[in-house]
Amino acid sequence: MMRGPRLLATAAALACAVAFVPDTAHAHLVDTRLGDFYSGALHPLTDLQQVLPWIALAVLAAFQGAQRARWIILVFPLALAIGGIASLAVPLPSFGPLLGLVLVAVTGLAVAAAARLPLGVLLAIAVVMGLLHGAQNGAAMVATTDRLLFLSGMTAVGYGVITLATGSAIAFLHGAPWRPIALRAGGSWVAAVGIMVLGLHLVRPVAG
Amino acid sequence: MNRLVLNPAVVLAALFAAIPLAPAFAHTGSGVSLGLESGFLHPLTGPDHLVAMVAVGLWGAQLGNPAIWVLPITFPLVMAVGGLLGVLGMPLPFVEPIIAVSGIALGTMVAFSVRPPLWVAATLVGVFAIFHGYAHGRELPEAADAIAFAVGFVIATGLLHLTGILIGVLVGYEAGAKVVRACGAAIGCVGVYFLLGAVGVIG
Amino acid sequence: MSGRAFIARAATAGTSAKPDAATSPAGGVRLGGRALLAPFAALGGLAAALLCLVVGLLVPATMARAHEATMAVITLREIAPGRFIGQWTMPPVDLSLQPIFPPHCTWEPPELVCGARGLTGQLSFMGLGSKQSVATIRVIPHEGPMEVYTVSAAKPTVMAARDPGTDLAVWRDLAETYVNLGIDHILRGIDHLLFVLGLIWLVKGGWKLVKTITAFTVGHSISLAAATFGWVGVPERPLNAAIALSIVFVGVEIVKLQRGEVGLTARYPWTVAFAFGLLHGLGFATALTTLGIPQATLPIALLFFNVGVEIGQLTFVAVVLALLWAHRQAQALLPRWGAAIPAYVIGSVASYWFLLRI
Repeated sequence: MMRGPRLLATAAALACAVAFVPDTAHAHLVDTRLGDFYSGALHPLTDLQQVLPWIALAVLAAFQGAQRARWIILVFPLALAIGGIASLAVPLPSFGPLLGLVLVAVTGLAVAAAARLPLGVLLAIAVVMGLLHGAQNGAAMVATTDRLLFLSGMTAVGYGVITLATGSAIAFLHGAPWRPIALRAGGSWVAAVGIMVLGLHLVRPVAG
Repeated sequence: MNRLVLNPAVVLAALFAAIPLAPAFAHTGSGVSLGLESGFLHPLTGPDHLVAMVAVGLWGAQLGNPAIWVLPITFPLVMAVGGLLGVLGMPLPFVEPIIAVSGIALGTMVAFSVRPPLWVAATLVGVFAIFHGYAHGRELPEAADAIAFAVGFVIATGLLHLTGILIGVLVGYEAGAKVVRACGAAIGCVGVYFLLGAVGVIG
Repeated sequence: MSGRAFIARAATAGTSAKPDAATSPAGGVRLGGRALLAPFAALGGLAAALLCLVVGLLVPATMARAHEATMAVITLREIAPGRFIGQWTMPPVDLSLQPIFPPHCTWEPPELVCGARGLTGQLSFMGLGSKQSVATIRVIPHEGPMEVYTVSAAKPTVMAARDPGTDLAVWRDLAETYVNLGIDHILRGIDHLLFVLGLIWLVKGGWKLVKTITAFTVGHSISLAAATFGWVGVPERPLNAAIALSIVFVGVEIVKLQRGEVGLTARYPWTVAFAFGLLHGLGFATALTTLGIPQATLPIALLFFNVGVEIGQLTFVAVVLALLWAHRQAQALLPRWGAAIPAYVIGSVASYWFLLRI
């Protein structure tokens, strides 16, 4: 009896998510409202190349069980912040976009396989992703951006998304056997996106 | 605090809902939302693709364990291979006829409730997945935002599978099983129509 | 100007308590910086975030007043209903500076024609930047008192309003402006958010939390109204100091609770929340009154502002509860030895503000 409403809720949310996109397509400056903290918080969310692997990473962590998963809640935001700070001093590496897409594909594949990873490997993925995305977001700051606020906002949203996604995925995995399969199918889709766009990038490098 | 337990599915759903909303606020958002939109609509605008996707879900549900979970997980990956071929611009012969034929084949399988060994089913679905992915892959380089386009058509395709699986849940009931088979027959007919279109007999 | 661009107007208004503070971007920045670190501090375990917090507290404070503004003033005198003659009473340094009026007005210097709707809507300046960081529009209506609207780089647009009557467009303008302003104000008001966070921490959740948050809301709505209408007036500095002190109090209460003592808040949560709500409402009021809203629209502006504050506050509560839930799911809780850290962080940050504000 419980399954129906939940599925419905999920489907409805997805439908809303999709339906709202064209409507709000006329984007405006995020920077003008609520200050640089919030523009830092929104910046990663505007890039699917970042949000997608974040969620995949969280689900991957959830597959390792709560005892291991919780470490990424600490490690990932830290790496994000360090990456952001590093972007102030070091220019973005040229392999950035490539690495970003590889991370999408790798995390997606690992979720699809429901891979049991050693904690070190999981954290290594989290660190590499955090550093890269932190640097990419940090590079988006302009001269008038308050750096401290922007980077705090970015770190906060990284922490928030990773925590919520990990917690939700762990809770979601309890119960019926179709649930891990649903998450694995989702991971497989993420991997598919990563592989195809990676292929495109190798043929004709995309910006980002 | 225990009384205030949040429903995990709802939280997850809300989270998913929030993600694509967020890009809409972006300064670079127009590319992302355009890509998402066109990607999302791409599988939905080709009726031959659309029905075949639903057929995959239906058949998976009909076949039961382990196909019901092998198919949704492996399909995207096989599709990605096809997508890669499309992105790289590799020539692949008879794309449209083969998509139509796989629609017919899948529809027939569902209509007659055929239960071949898993590898046969997987191969059939796999061939279809490659050609389907190829068709999308060809579009990818033209998209405003490639990753958004990819995410868009992936969501649409996933939802079509889900639709098929949810309809397929009916096989548990006697009348429902008939409905599922009728759907399969209808899909087969649509496939025939598009095959005739693809080889130039009609249209 | 489409609806969403309109939001921009509410941009930075919330942070600056005093008009002169509004001219310095860093003034707004400092407040916001503390605000958003709140979830981190409370959820603990994130040393980096705490470090940022401390840096955020110390660094921008010194930069806050570094930016001196040069003024430019344009005066608009109403010569007939909806028709104004505009003149620079203090000409701009940067000659490219031009006022931007609402779309229903036509500006052909020196004449401004706004028609029956009058001069209502968004006011802004083109060319505000490093040379000219602040500009003022003074409106002398046919009857009634003069109104002054100040635009700065930190607050690039302001809202001109009048009694909306039955004009739906004006109502919509007002709702959009002040709801956004309210959301903006609470989400940047780190001290308010920290207090709410403290309440959540103390009351834990469930029905009791609903009652406590409601009591806080009722409290600050009452005093916000009272202060906006000028029934009560509290000087700003002691008020801000008292607000800081209220957060210290919550921090102390959390520590007490963790030691097993039953504090005041644990015993009478909603009474305490109501009392401190009264205090924080006075704080919200300063944000609203410094905008210089005309008396005619004050009740409506107040209503929408309050709605915005509630939306922002409930969003914050929802996010904190969701994060707490996620932390329990992931079993990512503070170790026993660290359980008191968030309370001490809240307490010491608030004490620091208190010292800064007295």
